[in-house]
Amino acid sequence: MFNQFGSTAETLSKASAAVLRIGTDAHLYDDPEDVNIAPLLDSKFESEKCEALKRLLALIAQGFDVSNFFPQVVKNVASQSSEVKKLVYLYLLHYAEKRPNEALLSINYFQKDLGDPNPLVRAWALRTMAGIRLHVIAPLALSAVGKCARDPAVYVRKCAANALPKLHDLRLEEHAPAIEELVGILLNDHSPGVVGAAAAAFTSICPNNFSLIGKNYKKLCQILPDVEEWGQILLIGTLLRYVVARHGLVRESLMLSLHGLESNGFYEKDGLVGDKKDGDKSDSFDANLVSLVSKCYIEASFDSKETTSVGDNEDVKILLQCTSPLLWSNNSAVVLAAAGVQWIMAPLEDVKKIVKPLLFLLRSSTASKYVVLCNILVFAKAVPSLFAPHFEDFFICSSDAYQVKAHKLEMLSLIATTSSISSILREFEDYIKDPDRRFAADTVAAIGLCAKRLPEIPTACLNGLLALVRQESFAGDLELVDGEAGVLVQAVMSIQTIIERDPLSHEKVIVQLFRCLDSVKVAAARATIIWMVGVYCSLGHIIPRMLTTITKYLAWSFKSEASETKLQILNTAAKVLISAEVEDFQMLKKIVLYVLELGECDLNYDVRDRTRFLKKMLSYKLACHEPTEDSVASQENIAEHVVEYVFGRKLKPFSPLNLHNRFYLPGSLSQIVLHAAPGYEPLPKPCSFVVEEHDQLSDSGRQREAMSGLNGSQESSETVDEDGSSEYDSESYNGSDFSSDGDERNDANDAADPLIQFSDIAVSTDQEELRSKRALDLWLDEESSTSNQTPSALDRNQSSYAKISIGDIGSRVKPKSYTLLDPGNGNGVKIDYTFLSEVSTVSPLHVCVEVLFQNSSTEPIVEVSLEDEEAMNVSDSAEQTLVGKANASYNNVPTLIPMEELSCLEPGQSAKRLIQVRFHHHLLPMRLSLHYNGKKVPVKLRPDLGYLVKPFSITIEEFLSTESRLPGMFEYTRRCTFTDHIKDTRMENGKDKFLTICESITLKVLSNSNLHLVSVDLPVASTLEDATGLRLRFSSKILSSEIPLLITITVQGKCTEDLNLTVKINCEETVFGLNLLNRIANFMVETSSSAI
Amino acid sequence: MEEASGRRSKLTIRSEREREREREREREQYRSSMLQCIFLLSDSGEVILEKQLTGHRVDRSICAWFWDQADSLKSLPVIASPTHYLFQIVRDGITFLACTQVEMPPLMAIEFLCRVADVLSDYLGGLNEDLVKDNFIIVYELLDEMIDNGFPLTTEPNILREMIAPPNLVSKMLSVVTGNASNVSDTLPSGTGSCVPWRPTDPKYSSNEVYVDLVEEMDAIVNRDGELVKCEIYGQVQMSSQLTGFPDLTLSFANPSVLEDMRFHPCVRFRPWESHQVLSFVPPDGQFKLMSYRVKKLKNTPLYVKPQITSDSGACRVSVLVGIRSDPGKTIESITLSFQLPHCVSSADLSSNHGTVTILSNKTCTWTIGRIPSDKTPCLSGTLALETGLERLHVYPTFKVGFKIMGIALSGLRIEKLDLKTIPPRLYKGFRAQTRAGEFDVRL
Repeated sequence: MFNQFGSTAETLSKASAAVLRIGTDAHLYDDPEDVNIAPLLDSKFESEKCEALKRLLALIAQGFDVSNFFPQVVKNVASQSSEVKKLVYLYLLHYAEKRPNEALLSINYFQKDLGDPNPLVRAWALRTMAGIRLHVIAPLALSAVGKCARDPAVYVRKCAANALPKLHDLRLEEHAPAIEELVGILLNDHSPGVVGAAAAAFTSICPNNFSLIGKNYKKLCQILPDVEEWGQILLIGTLLRYVVARHGLVRESLMLSLHGLESNGFYEKDGLVGDKKDGDKSDSFDANLVSLVSKCYIEASFDSKETTSVGDNEDVKILLQCTSPLLWSNNSAVVLAAAGVQWIMAPLEDVKKIVKPLLFLLRSSTASKYVVLCNILVFAKAVPSLFAPHFEDFFICSSDAYQVKAHKLEMLSLIATTSSISSILREFEDYIKDPDRRFAADTVAAIGLCAKRLPEIPTACLNGLLALVRQESFAGDLELVDGEAGVLVQAVMSIQTIIERDPLSHEKVIVQLFRCLDSVKVAAARATIIWMVGVYCSLGHIIPRMLTTITKYLAWSFKSEASETKLQILNTAAKVLISAEVEDFQMLKKIVLYVLELGECDLNYDVRDRTRFLKKMLSYKLACHEPTEDSVASQENIAEHVVEYVFGRKLKPFSPLNLHNRFYLPGSLSQIVLHAAPGYEPLPKPCSFVVEEHDQLSDSGRQREAMSGLNGSQESSETVDEDGSSEYDSESYNGSDFSSDGDERNDANDAADPLIQFSDIAVSTDQEELRSKRALDLWLDEESSTSNQTPSALDRNQSSYAKISIGDIGSRVKPKSYTLLDPGNGNGVKIDYTFLSEVSTVSPLHVCVEVLFQNSSTEPIVEVSLEDEEAMNVSDSAEQTLVGKANASYNNVPTLIPMEELSCLEPGQSAKRLIQVRFHHHLLPMRLSLHYNGKKVPVKLRPDLGYLVKPFSITIEEFLSTESRLPGMFEYTRRCTFTDHIKDTRMENGKDKFLTICESITLKVLSNSNLHLVSVDLPVASTLEDATGLRLRFSSKILSSEIPLLITITVQGKCTEDLNLTVKINCEETVFGLNLLNRIANFMVETSSSAI
Repeated sequence: MEEASGRRSKLTIRSEREREREREREREQYRSSMLQCIFLLSDSGEVILEKQLTGHRVDRSICAWFWDQADSLKSLPVIASPTHYLFQIVRDGITFLACTQVEMPPLMAIEFLCRVADVLSDYLGGLNEDLVKDNFIIVYELLDEMIDNGFPLTTEPNILREMIAPPNLVSKMLSVVTGNASNVSDTLPSGTGSCVPWRPTDPKYSSNEVYVDLVEEMDAIVNRDGELVKCEIYGQVQMSSQLTGFPDLTLSFANPSVLEDMRFHPCVRFRPWESHQVLSFVPPDGQFKLMSYRVKKLKNTPLYVKPQITSDSGACRVSVLVGIRSDPGKTIESITLSFQLPHCVSSADLSSNHGTVTILSNKTCTWTIGRIPSDKTPCLSGTLALETGLERLHVYPTFKVGFKIMGIALSGLRIEKLDLKTIPPRLYKGFRAQTRAGEFDVRL
């Protein structure tokens, strides 16, 4: 009956629980798979989709892999319901990296959502799109972020700022400048919410790009109090780093307090010192430690001249002003960050204002308390007097976690002063009785530390400790409680620490301790006491008299001791024998011999070893009859010296400074874990950031660097040689100018309009001609069947179009050259590389790269060669295991067909070599190592997408039929503008304008990629000015997969104005196609912007 | 010649800078977003849910690693595991574990996790394993809103409430009936865009109300000699405001000088406080904590606790007296006394003349007194039997005292007035105060 009742009660309680859970998602979490999810996803009802997605999320939550639903889920991204959308986004982000191709399907929807009038939809789309970690969509995401960075809604701009680190994380170096530029724009935002997020982006993207901060410094300081708390934490750090890099440390600050400290009269007039009447100077602060701390904080050693002062530096003053109210923040992390700034930068007398806010932080969650205490400990080690008056705040509550208690104890023993020690000791007495014996043991150790710091108090301490030893030895006897032994050991150690300072006056204590020996049963404690017998055996006049008795006792108990204690007995026996008085010598010798005999047949081989060693050492003593008897043999004399040295030596006081003094910036993770976490950076070198206006000459390079960082070019020009610069610019564009004049060359990005310069340049070396012709020949030869097809294609359309000839275009195609190593970096070796259209002889996957070595130094360079760096990357430091995933791409390092070694390169000489490279990924650079003069320099060879394809000659009909088979998702278009032709059309009046446009577009395309021009369609022009309808078709095959890739460029706009180009790519390999499309769109625009 | 040397010096400048850049690039290899993943673990170590925050997925095997660590490591708030740095907080039996691989302010992670725990317990009406599982979709949505790419996004509770509706009875019933109720808002909360992100732009109320509560906690330590070693107040000014439009409030205290230190809600302007110690602010809508403060060096506790213990030949006699030391003028309610019996106590027989005594299996003893009766002094007495072999007790427990007093702030802090710049119609202002025990330890 009862049974029945019981079961009813059970069902009842189950039922009531079920009632409570009605309407929640409980059933979904409990049995996510109790229905078939797939049909639900395809349902036409939003609610069913929603349920299916929730089930998927439940599975994710429980750790199952449900990525096989990806295609079905992605379809739902188009849903109108915000909840479905949100759930799809959650799912997408979880799996996007796993299913890249399907993830691409969603991109169009994100693009659409980015234009949605609802800011929430825009923000979600942006967050998800940036969160899909695919290199392919990075350019799209970047442009989306760029757009959203100018969005009217603050929330969207904030999300844009948050999206930047996601893109940066993909490590697309070609986008890095654009990302940094966006950081700059967002830092300059007028809304505090955005600035906070931008500060976070800054910290993780370009923490040392101080020019971005420099521009807005004052504004950032003013906006700081309004920034959200999380942004404040990082912004404070950023501002501090900026000020240090810009102005250096503050002269009056604690960090530099060593300089001119005495002249300041700091001790006398300063209010910091807690107990002035004590006159205990070492109490106010530990100058050595402070200088150690400040050295640890700063990256490089610095000159003490590189300082500034609050009084005359406005920037420092503002920083201190704007961070000090943040000490009142509700967020502990903000308070700690602000305190860090004051600690490092504030004048000495102002540092104390961080104390109360820091102490207030101790009244927060256990975890925060622990972190704050770790930081306060460092402050207190350096300046104990700061916290000395507030010792009560470190008294321990019963609810504190063990770690917190331990840190508080350390704190109390650090800041105890003669006036506070009595209350602190009384607290300690209470703690010793705490049920947590580990904590009690720590307390006993802390008493020892206090007594060591404050010489006045030992007597009181010692009595207490002795009483404790007696009591503990009694309790420990029973060995009922864990940790009891620890307390006893600590007590003995603390007594030893105190005695060490002045053993003579504590003789009685030592004697008392010896008397306890019999009752102390804990091996470690016994060992310590026995060790003390040996050390103090000749001290005073009571101990020597007891010695024989003690030694007898030890010999008697030897058999029953632990090996740890046995070893100490042996040591002590040796010491006692050496310092023995005449009258006791015979007796002691007997005892020692007895002990040694026992030791020789001990079970533990450490003990046996020690015994044999001692026996040998002491043989001369044991042989003679009187302690003072002179040894005859010189050999024995040496043994005597050795023994004297080993055992007769008095203890040296050892430095109280902790050995593990490693300091990291306050508030950092590294300070808690006590090693430099990946990404930890100390403060920058003081005054390492110089703003340009000071010194034109020396800073111009720096300025340019800053500028180039903004403008998006990878390389900055070092050339300050104004006369030559325009020439170099033009040359560098052509990329085939190999005149070895030893000067640096700009990257193509900096170049001006190419066609103009082309015609301007009168002189071009033979080499150049040779090279360019060869490139063209190759191109033409390869397409032998359709050589000269360019005109012929045109001919076909001739009937309706004007007859044009662009046959000479080939001679003007100049493949772009990139810099592998610039002379500044390579001690005068300059290396450029150009991708060749030639097909590799090794495998269809390899690309031929022509490498040009130039020696611009004054000495010959020998043994130049390029090698794959793969071998080196395998054995990377341990730190990388932590970041293993990020470096996964190392496995993909492509193979390299090396070049023949250059045996010698004379000054001014240049040489060309061919290498063949297989890029593993079409976006990732290949790491090579360059060897020359016996040195090794790592360099990066970046793939050019345009040369990872090969020309594919087809007729226009074939082209059109292939195109028609690749519609929809295989087709991508992008728009861009084109301006190269403008100057041309203006300059060359005689020529047909359409022809010029065709020429310049073709030239541009063929100079940057390895394509085959299929046809040119000219519009039947209504007006001569309108170029709309002009269409160029190119074809190629992807090197790696032989998949055809078709490119169509359609022109819109007037001949004399900017043209709008629509570039379309049809390709089965969507990922590659999309990337190439972006590459084309980029280079089409690229030059036009720099031409302006 | 001169030119050549000039060029060389330029070259060296350049190469130095290049090296610097190279170094920076190498360093950047490690840089990635801040927090990478958040796990919620149950008290048995089971992963309730995981939320990956970045593309760098963190495998959940890290949780197993964490759970298998020895207590001394596991209880640390910041742990360096072989692959990740872990931050943890424990709230109501649920462990919130966050992982990162790079340097970041640890307090930021911990504070954020605390904020997540606050928001979740606010949404779910408490925190336990079942509640989280039952509402895992809401937890996911909240986490997604609160953190973006490892960096906190929206943490203001009032704004979150507008974005994601908390589960309530109505929505639950609706979802049962219609099978469809979205808790995700379609529109962006207006507060996210304004210069006061903690406040919706234009809330409207028919009656305008603003309440100010002083909630104080007393921390005290009485040592074994019965001496009051430390006594201080940790207080909060809690507000509940339902005001139309864009109100600008000022709150002033009659005696701000008693305050030792304070921390403010982001809405408080620093300037007026620095100059006249006046709180000037535009309040969030609804409940919030305006400021917290500390008042140190109080002279007295309202209660006294006098424990006595004598131990002899394996048995201890315990007696504890509790009474009013200084009458605060209001009734002291919910008085409790709890302590942990030492390990060496094998059994305890305790009784009281007032209230109830319970001893749990983990040797936690709680004495619930309630109010102090007028006719007698509550007394707990009894004997403790020590484990065999022990003569005397050598470790002593600490008593934790709990109490509550309504209607009074023991710190003596008084609110002078609360002003509104533009007074809305039908305004109602209210003030309340209460004090309860915080860390009130009496050592035996």
